[in-house]
Order: sequence, then C-alpha cells, then structure tokens
Amino acid sequence: MGELAADKHVKYIISVEKKKDSFESVVMEHLRLNGAYWGLTTLDILGKLDAVDEEDVISWILKCQDESGGFAGNIGHDPHVLYTLSAVQVLALFDKVDILDADKVSNYIVGLQNEDGSFSGDIWGEVDTRFSYIAICCLSILQRLDKINVDKAVEYIVSCKNLDGGFGCTPGGESHSGQIFCCVGALAIAGALHHVDKDLLGWWLCERQVKSGGLNGRPEKLPDVGLLLLVGSFKLDHD
Amino acid sequence: MSTSENSYSEAEALNLLAQLERILDLDPLIDEVGFIHPSQLATLKEEIGNSLSSEDKDHESTSFWIRDHKLGISTQILIPVYKAAKHAFISALRQYKTPGNFSGKSQDDTVAIEVMIHSKALLLLSCDFATAWNSRKLIVSNKQLLPILMDELRLSAVVLSHSPKSEQAWSHRRWVINMISRNCSTLQWIIERESELVEKIAERSKMNYRAWNHRCWLVSFMTREQVLNELKQSRNWSGLHVADNSCFHYHRRLMIWNLEGFCHIQDNNSSGYFVETYQVWKEELDWNESLIKRYVGREALWLHRRFLSLYLIKHIATHLLGVSCQSKPKASVDIDIDSLMDHELCLVHSCSTTIPDANFEDFQAQAIHSAAYMLWLTKQIPEYQGINIQEKLQAGAGDLMRMLKRSCPDRSSLWDYLVGYHSEP
Repeated sequence: MGELAADKHVKYIISVEKKKDSFESVVMEHLRLNGAYWGLTTLDILGKLDAVDEEDVISWILKCQDESGGFAGNIGHDPHVLYTLSAVQVLALFDKVDILDADKVSNYIVGLQNEDGSFSGDIWGEVDTRFSYIAICCLSILQRLDKINVDKAVEYIVSCKNLDGGFGCTPGGESHSGQIFCCVGALAIAGALHHVDKDLLGWWLCERQVKSGGLNGRPEKLPDVGLLLLVGSFKLDHD
Repeated sequence: MSTSENSYSEAEALNLLAQLERILDLDPLIDEVGFIHPSQLATLKEEIGNSLSSEDKDHESTSFWIRDHKLGISTQILIPVYKAAKHAFISALRQYKTPGNFSGKSQDDTVAIEVMIHSKALLLLSCDFATAWNSRKLIVSNKQLLPILMDELRLSAVVLSHSPKSEQAWSHRRWVINMISRNCSTLQWIIERESELVEKIAERSKMNYRAWNHRCWLVSFMTREQVLNELKQSRNWSGLHVADNSCFHYHRRLMIWNLEGFCHIQDNNSSGYFVETYQVWKEELDWNESLIKRYVGREALWLHRRFLSLYLIKHIATHLLGVSCQSKPKASVDIDIDSLMDHELCLVHSCSTTIPDANFEDFQAQAIHSAAYMLWLTKQIPEYQGINIQEKLQAGAGDLMRMLKRSCPDRSSLWDYLVGYHSEP
C-alpha cells in the first residue's frame, strides 16, 4: 500500500485558503468558517497546524462573532449555529477556547432551543436535527450543556427516528447518513445512546456499502468519500 | 471592452449590475436563470436573434440574454457583478438597519426597496448567501402581504431553477409558507402548488434530498383528502422512478400521517376507520408488488415493502388486540396476519429461488433484496398475543440464508451477525 502524500495535502489546503478570486470561492465566502474548520482539522491530523498563522486565524474568527454571541460564516454576515460550532472547534484545535466568553456563546445557542426540544439554526426558525447536534456538541465543548433542556432535546431527536432505525432532519424525514451521524452523535454526548436501536441502525448502515466497497448516504445512491467518514465513524463508535 | 474576468473596473461592474437589475425589473415573470459561457451566449444570439431593444449598449447584448422569461448571464461577468451586488446590498442593509430608519418615514421604504433589489440580484448569483435571504425576511415580516410573500416564493423558484439543492432557497420557502399559514385562506392551494414544484424539480434533480424533505414537510399542512389524493397521484410518478428512494419515503410519510395525523378528529377504535386505513395500505402493498415484478432488483422497492408489511401487521395486530379487549365487533374485512405472511413468503420464494439468467445482475439483486427483506421482517415482527409468526419464518430462514451466502459471499459475516442478534426463542 502506498503512503499518504501528506505534504501535497498541506500545500493544497494552503493554496485553497489563499485563492479567493475564482467564482467558486467567491460564492462560498459566506461559509468560510466551515471551510476553515475542515481545512485546519486536516492540517492538525497531518501534524501541520503550524503551517498557518494562528494569530491571524483567531483574530479573523473573533471578527466573525456577532453581538448576539453567535458566529457568522465570515465578517459582516449573519450569525448561525453552523458557524458558531466551527468557530469553537477551530479555537479548540488551537487550545484557545478560553479566550471566548463561554456564557455569551452558550446563551446564543440556548436561545435557539424550541419548546419541543428542537433547535433552530438561527433567529429565522429553520429546524433540523443537525442543529441539535451542533448545539449539544458546542455546549459540550464549552462545558455548558446543563444550560439547555437536554431531556427535551433528546426527546426531539428520538422523534426523528424512522422505522428503518435511521434518523431524518425533522420528524418523518428520510433517513440520511449525515443526519444519522448528527443524531447519534448528539445522543452519545447527551448520554442517551440507549434510544438508538443499534442492531436495526447497524443493519441500515451496513446496507450502505456498495459492491465497490464505498459507502453511499441513502439507498440507491452512489458511494461518496464524505459519507465513508460519517458512516465509518459511526460504526467504530457504536460498539 | 474587457475580456478577462478580473479586469472589469468598478464602474463597469456597477453598470452591469444596473443592467441586470433593470432586466429583472422589466420582466417580473422570469422563471429560470442560467450561467452561460460567452461563446454559447453568442451562439444563442445568432440563432434566435436579440430580443432586446436597439438602444441597448454593447455590454448588455454580450452579457445577458433574455427570452420567454428565461435569463442567461455570461459566466464572464459573474465575479464583477457579484462583487458589485454584494457591495450595494451590504451598504443598503446597513442603512436600513441604522436606528433612525425604524421611524416609519417614507425614507424607510426607499431603503427597503434598495435592499430588496440588490439582494435579489445577489441571490441569483450566490444562492446560499443567507444574510441576503434574511434581509428579505426582515423586510417582508414588516408587511406580510400575500403578493409580497408570493414574490418571495417566485424568487426562490428562480434560484432553484439553477440550484435545486440550495438549502437556503428551500428554507426560505418554508418560512414564507409559515407566514402565509397564519392568516391566509389560499394555503391549501399553495400547498398543492408547492408539492407540484417539488415533483417538477425532482424530475430534473434525482433523489434531491432537500426537495423531497420539503415535500414531506408540507404534509402536516394537508387535509386528509389532500393526503389521500397525493398518495394516489404520486404513484404515477413513483412508478416511473423506481430507483428514487426519496419518492417512496414520501409515500411512507403520507401513509403514516394518514394513520396518525388525524387521530384527533376521529375515533381510532372504529371498525370503519380500521377498514379504511387497511385498504389504503393493502392497495399500496399490491401496487408495490406489481412494481417489484416489473422492475427486477430495485432496492428502493424492497425497502418500501419492509415498511409496508411491518406497519400493516402491527396495525392489524393492534386492532385485533383492541377488539378482543373491548368486545367490539371485529372488522368485516377478512384480515388474517397468517395469510398475509404466507403471501409474503411466497413472493420472496419466487424472487429468491428463480434466477433465470445468471449473467443478468438484476435477478441476483432481486434474490438478495427479497431474502434480506424477509430476514429483516423476521427480526422486526414482535410476537403478538396468540399469533406467533416467528416459527413460520424461522422455518424458511435457513433456505434464505443459504441463498444469500451463495449469491453474496462477501457479506457472509453480515448475514450471520444479523440473524444472530435476535435469535433467542
């Protein structure tokens, strides 16, 4: 088996970070913080986090914070839980979570929990189990999980469980590997994994493997490397 | 005239933005936007002829193309126009949000209009620019008039014409519909149009999770009649797209909602209700079987059958339990779980043992899917009072296992594990 061309991956990531002029990068400006998380995590795994200027990154991230406490995808944009989690995760990579006012960030998230236990992504109200995962994960990193109604949050996630053992984005939503990753992850952090029917879900996940060996996200779809990560990580976790 | 993407001056970019916004204003019925390479744009101009007036400047005729409410934008100008639109939008939004502006003066409206114009142009270029969608929500929520809300649906539809998976565009639709549902009698009509829109988009964009998710979301707004109608209508579409798991999931959503979503308005213990719902499920099962026989080896069909069989069996068992507990008259339809299972075993047997052509992969897939279906069902059916299907299934399970291992040896350990997990008697 060949070796991972780590240096090339590092070079690629740095080049993407610098390339801001193509149309593709320009229409992703609003989610740059997500991109930062993926890129920096990769560098960290490759042991090359020092390839970027830590201070530069952190000061940019802090500029993305809105007065509500939440973070936007880039400077001047509206805040959303998606970017709030990425911000906290990136700071965690640099071991600098403590520079945040944890209460301020947590209050932003807490304010987005609805009566039925679900979480909205932002003040405009869209609900999705991904946001439940984000909220629980983020508060867990900030050590403020007790600020939300965890039982209700769990109840909502469980209401999104389907007959095939999988989870969708809202009650009645189609099972999708990405949503499953989020729901199971959230339940795991909340200490509520007993709600998952491991064998049933395990069956569904195993059926995601296609002849080529890759994994798809839903029945009849093509395999996808991103989903390999999600489905694979679940299977490692759940035993 | 500049020829490369990055060599447009600020003034030229502003000019292009103004042209785009003028086109959008002149034709509010634009229903489709696409990005076209300059060479293709030139070809379009030649073929069909320029529909713009002779007063139009050079830029416009080489950068935009419009006909029959379809707008083409040259890929060459995307970046400069995006930057100009973003700049104009942010500046207008900042002005709109400054404290003095909420005083209700007519100046407010002018700025609000600016925000709406620039955000529209911006969103056609960068469909997931959430801040732009949010600004529209902010402005619209101050007015909440139906025509304005319908305009939002129109804009979102245009965006979806070139970005059918845009999360923001779908989410904006839901926000608008929630606004409409608060005080509007045309909601049912809108829900029907929304459902049709999803089907249209699903035709072009296969297994589009966001589109189908939106359609599932609509179900909770539907009347019982609409739900049953949707089920019937969508069978036509689903029958032509048997590899699309999402459309079958939509069926499941409709059926469960039909079963559980209207319980507050009827007596769930009535025989009439039971018979009615049973018939809907039986129809769906029969239809599914006809597809299974016609389209060999389709995973989505078998997965749908898992759900249908399990739910039906549970539903019947619950009814029978209710009947015996409360001494109510049993439903007049002759429903028997045993015969249902016999039928399923028969179906599976015919699919898993006859492989007419070993070279044709689909027959093998059919065998595997049918066997997996029966194994799955075996594991899911709990034991009911007085009804033990387990024994019947266990008897056939051995054959199925042997067949599965033969056809799919690389999954041997999976089958062993799955059969093992509930094996206590």
